[in-house]
Amino acid sequence: MAYGSGYFKTSYEADMALVDTRLRRLALAALIALLAVLPRLASPFVLELVTQTALAAVGALALNMLTGLAGQISLGHAGFLCAGAFTVGILTESVKAPPLVALPAAAMVGALLGILVGVPSLRLKGLYLALGTLAMHFVVLYVASEYQARWGFNTGVSVPAPVIAGIRVRTGVQWYYVLVAFAMLTTFLSVNLGRSRVGRAWMAIHDREIAAASLGIAVARYKLLAFVASSVLTALAGALWAYYRSFVSVEAFSFVVTIEFIAMIVIGGMGSTLGALLGAGFVTLLPYGIDAVVGALAPGGAAPYWLFPLKFGAFGLLMALFLVFEPLGLVGIWRRARTWVVLWPLRYAPLRTVR
Amino acid sequence: MSLLDVRGIEVVYHRAATAVQGITLDVPAGRIVALLGPNGAGKTTTLRAISGFLDADDARVTDGDVIFDEVTVTGWLPHRLVRRGLVLVPEREKIFETLTVTENLEACRRGGDLEAVFTHFPALAGRRRQLAGYLSGGERQMLALGSALLCQPRLLLVDELSLGLAPIVVRALMKAVRRLRDELGLTILLVEQNAAAALEIADHGYVIENGRIVHEGSAAALLAHDDVREFYLGGARSRTGRTYRDVKQYRRRRRWFA
Amino acid sequence: MQAVAGVVVLASLYVLLGVGYVLVYRASRVLNLAQGDLMMVGGYALFATVTTVSASPFIAVPLALAVGAAVGVLVYALLMRPMAGHPVFAAVLVTVSLGILLRVAVVLVYTDQTRYPLPAMDLSNPPVRLPGGAAVSALDVVTVASAAALLGGLFAFLRLSRLGIRMRAAAERPLLAAQRGIDFHALFALSWALASFAGALAGVLYASNVRLDPSLGILGLKAFAVALVGGLDSLGGLVAGALIVATVEVLTIRHVNPLLSDVSPFLCLLLMLLVRPWGLWGTREELERV
Repeated sequence: MAYGSGYFKTSYEADMALVDTRLRRLALAALIALLAVLPRLASPFVLELVTQTALAAVGALALNMLTGLAGQISLGHAGFLCAGAFTVGILTESVKAPPLVALPAAAMVGALLGILVGVPSLRLKGLYLALGTLAMHFVVLYVASEYQARWGFNTGVSVPAPVIAGIRVRTGVQWYYVLVAFAMLTTFLSVNLGRSRVGRAWMAIHDREIAAASLGIAVARYKLLAFVASSVLTALAGALWAYYRSFVSVEAFSFVVTIEFIAMIVIGGMGSTLGALLGAGFVTLLPYGIDAVVGALAPGGAAPYWLFPLKFGAFGLLMALFLVFEPLGLVGIWRRARTWVVLWPLRYAPLRTVR
Repeated sequence: MSLLDVRGIEVVYHRAATAVQGITLDVPAGRIVALLGPNGAGKTTTLRAISGFLDADDARVTDGDVIFDEVTVTGWLPHRLVRRGLVLVPEREKIFETLTVTENLEACRRGGDLEAVFTHFPALAGRRRQLAGYLSGGERQMLALGSALLCQPRLLLVDELSLGLAPIVVRALMKAVRRLRDELGLTILLVEQNAAAALEIADHGYVIENGRIVHEGSAAALLAHDDVREFYLGGARSRTGRTYRDVKQYRRRRRWFA
Repeated sequence: MQAVAGVVVLASLYVLLGVGYVLVYRASRVLNLAQGDLMMVGGYALFATVTTVSASPFIAVPLALAVGAAVGVLVYALLMRPMAGHPVFAAVLVTVSLGILLRVAVVLVYTDQTRYPLPAMDLSNPPVRLPGGAAVSALDVVTVASAAALLGGLFAFLRLSRLGIRMRAAAERPLLAAQRGIDFHALFALSWALASFAGALAGVLYASNVRLDPSLGILGLKAFAVALVGGLDSLGGLVAGALIVATVEVLTIRHVNPLLSDVSPFLCLLLMLLVRPWGLWGTREELERV
């Protein structure tokens, strides 16, 4: 981490603190304050954007844990979302289960699915693992579509608004607080896991599995743990998504959704919590940004028919550009800018590190 | 007149680590020149810098020039240099293991006849249809030299010819290399850790340590040089008259003064 | 008998698509997840040439195939070559982006309306009676014949011709190939051109036989499962894998459930990954095993 001068840690607690410098504490406090009062200041549309970003951030953080930290490439992310969402949908529709039951159930289903998807990872690596998870994704979608075809009135399952802690969560502001709190908890979890023994084990496995094993790291256990942690969080995100949208349908969980999440961590920067957050924001807000640009260039009139494919294509193009030119992602750009500011007027070309 | 003229090149890996610096070599046409040095000195880097890096290597020649036959070829891609007659026999991945011997030779052939290779290296003749991955170490080296020959080189760069081979095989290979110079008029730059074998056939030699050339001279001069003898030729001091200095625990610092 | 005919036809389509996967994987260790979209582009190239250049199939088809091959070269030069030193997964993600871009480009120009190039070429697709009472369409027969011809041609090329040997050499060790005078970038571009050509051929045939719309790329995903079952770097394995998966799929359609048949290639893939991850004829060392 690039500090200015003058910061010395004198105790273990100070060294292990999540937020160490005064500037960082102030910044974090300001951010939390801003998030708390945002509903008063911003329009409902902006609030909606932030809410969507928060939900996407949870999925991105979960994928970052699995693919960025632990290096287990997973192309089945949408399958976990689907599993969580459908668990909520099925339970709410068939037995009228309250969120207190449905959410943990979704988490458990996610965990089971995570173990199921994680077992092949003990034998497969890299590309083969990615393709195995992709195949699993299609199987999960098939199961969900079978359910939907038989019991879901063919278009999907509707889910009524949940009652959390006695409050019926229905309005945009309520959902904003719920989802932003969830995202903050997940961020905290992600940062803590990353700097704990678990996170270090994951990074060791990512770098060189044989060396990790010979250091005494229980590779199989940590791999499964990565899958389960990621899938539980993603399933919970899917469950909340189901409540948020009040509607669950298989079409919303296509392979494209997985690619969106992968784009989030690729564009943001793999292996870094900040990267996952930045990527989630970028990918979620990109379509709206394009809308705004197009609206400014050609004001008035209906949206041209090419706008939807353009939005779809834009994020594919951006992902390709980032992969080719900026493999470290937005975080890489941020770190370079920060290093430049901290070190100015001295300059040196930094080593290309992965994290 | 020199076929290869390396002028003060510096190679940087990953934009951060300088592997070699200020390397100046001169290889006259029709001669065998040896490049000696310990592990990690930069011999392979020097050869790779001369024969060309790929984009994927993330290595760059940041200073100096490589001049081959009066044309500056610094930074050229390997296959362009092969077309001009500069061919490298690499240290490790030197043959295509999933192809047969004949296919290996065919893939490299730019002209010339496969039979010429089998004449130079009779041991390969009986293994034409065998997968190259199953060849022994010496046979692999022969196949590597043979396929390099089929690229019609004028200058042959050979990296660690003797690595991992039995002495009798090393002797045979070195004789073959000298034959190549005598019969085909090839110029050869030989990188070797086995200094004794290299200096036997070389005309001239350079010593490289820690990325810099520290000594050069004719082969005879190097064979007679005290420091070269102590550090690269197994030390040929007389048994009698060993002083305390000879048995000291730490190595004497090399002083490269003639 | 009808089932057998169905299996052979489906397997031929998978072979045409799978050839692209195998060629690109052998050359650069990259799984080209945009192969299905390259097939779609081939179909639309046919539609474009039929509607703009000439309705004669003797001109439109070769032109469409040429366009397909050219797209492959462009893809390599612009997208895959800069990814040369990057990790394989990043290159695979780039192919996914490519697929998205191809699809978007096609939708922008042609919208998602379903098209039928065959009538525009003044051709029809009459049924062909086979012994045993089975019936397939004429283009089904053409598909099987093309797959066989393409496979035979590729086998001969890679095994016997000097260029084919060089391609195999460059695929195994690009650095050594460069040091032996082989311009491996040109050879990789050739692999991509061949892969794209095969995809375009599949696209042309499918568009004429069935229909043409931008969602054809899905077939490509099923074909990658086939390629993996056979072994990603083996053409022979591809044939075996195609036959096996096609058999499972046809049997599932007939006796179980059409929805399940769409997923059956992936179930085969999962089974293969658990039992024999490198496929039926793939090279074992491609894979690190725990």
